[in-house]
Amino acid sequence: MTDNRDVVFNELEIDTLHEMMNISFGRAARDLSEVIDIYVVLSIPSMEVINASELPQFIQENIQEITSGGTIICQSFLGDYNGICLVVFPSDDEHKLLRLFQDQDDSFMEMMDDPDSEVFLEIGNILIGTCVSKMAELIGETVIYQPPAVIHSNLISTSLYSSIFDISNLALTLNTTFKFKELDLHCYLFLITSCATVPFLKKAIVDYLKQFE
Amino acid sequence: MALKILLVDDSKASRLGLRNWLSKEDGVEIFEAGDGLEGVERFKEHQPDITFLDLTMPVMDGFTALEEMRKVDPAAIVVVLTADVQKKTTQRVEELGAFMVLKKPPVKENIIDAFYKGLKARGKER
Repeated sequence: MTDNRDVVFNELEIDTLHEMMNISFGRAARDLSEVIDIYVVLSIPSMEVINASELPQFIQENIQEITSGGTIICQSFLGDYNGICLVVFPSDDEHKLLRLFQDQDDSFMEMMDDPDSEVFLEIGNILIGTCVSKMAELIGETVIYQPPAVIHSNLISTSLYSSIFDISNLALTLNTTFKFKELDLHCYLFLITSCATVPFLKKAIVDYLKQFE
Repeated sequence: MALKILLVDDSKASRLGLRNWLSKEDGVEIFEAGDGLEGVERFKEHQPDITFLDLTMPVMDGFTALEEMRKVDPAAIVVVLTADVQKKTTQRVEELGAFMVLKKPPVKENIIDAFYKGLKARGKER
């Protein structure tokens, strides 16, 4: 798998994009920690530019502990800044997450038709919504969200995003891990956009750096 | 004697920005480090009057770096500048002795304000 990151962005642009990712992921951690009383440990994010057709393989390689299980929340967003965002819960952590919500509020669980799916949707929705919104805000764009969906990890394929961007082109992935400190839990977030968003990102990077003048 | 400022952040863009703003102040000498461990080393080497410290960094995170810096100088003025805006993070770094916590992206007025408040606390008010 070839990483074309250095072809698309220069060193300062990559660094600035990392900083923008940090800010977006930091806001997402705050929002989640306010909904469920946990402390989220942020990891250093990473960015790759790879062929869009290789994304399923890339995601699988980055979430190696998922074997047969695992749940993914998938949500696409449209606009000039468009793409898809995935939050991946490794299989071993699924039940810990459910228990976490049960511990918080029994009535919350009782209200839900399908607690398993709805807990994942709730957490995924918070992380995806905040990350994408903050990135869009930093870029100066607005996005329209499609409804989120719960999918099984073995259903990751190009069909998830082929309607949003051309799978024969390059795609930009911004990813990180959220660790829930006291609970030995973690999940992965992949924010994936087509390379058509690169001009918007480059403009946002210039604007971000202008504040320092 | 020049006032010494240490910038510890793995983001070059962030260091570049703070350097640009703070270097406009009279009589300052600015040092930089790209991770927590290097930050602690620079801290021991230069004994800065004020340190701006990121939290999410490779090699050694900012929490550990802050603890180490405060061991070296219990009166160290360390301003935490972070994208991690959780309440528990703020509480934790305040318990570790952070002088102030500012959120990213940095705002020039807040950085300059932190600089002057830090100097005042250091007894080097201008």
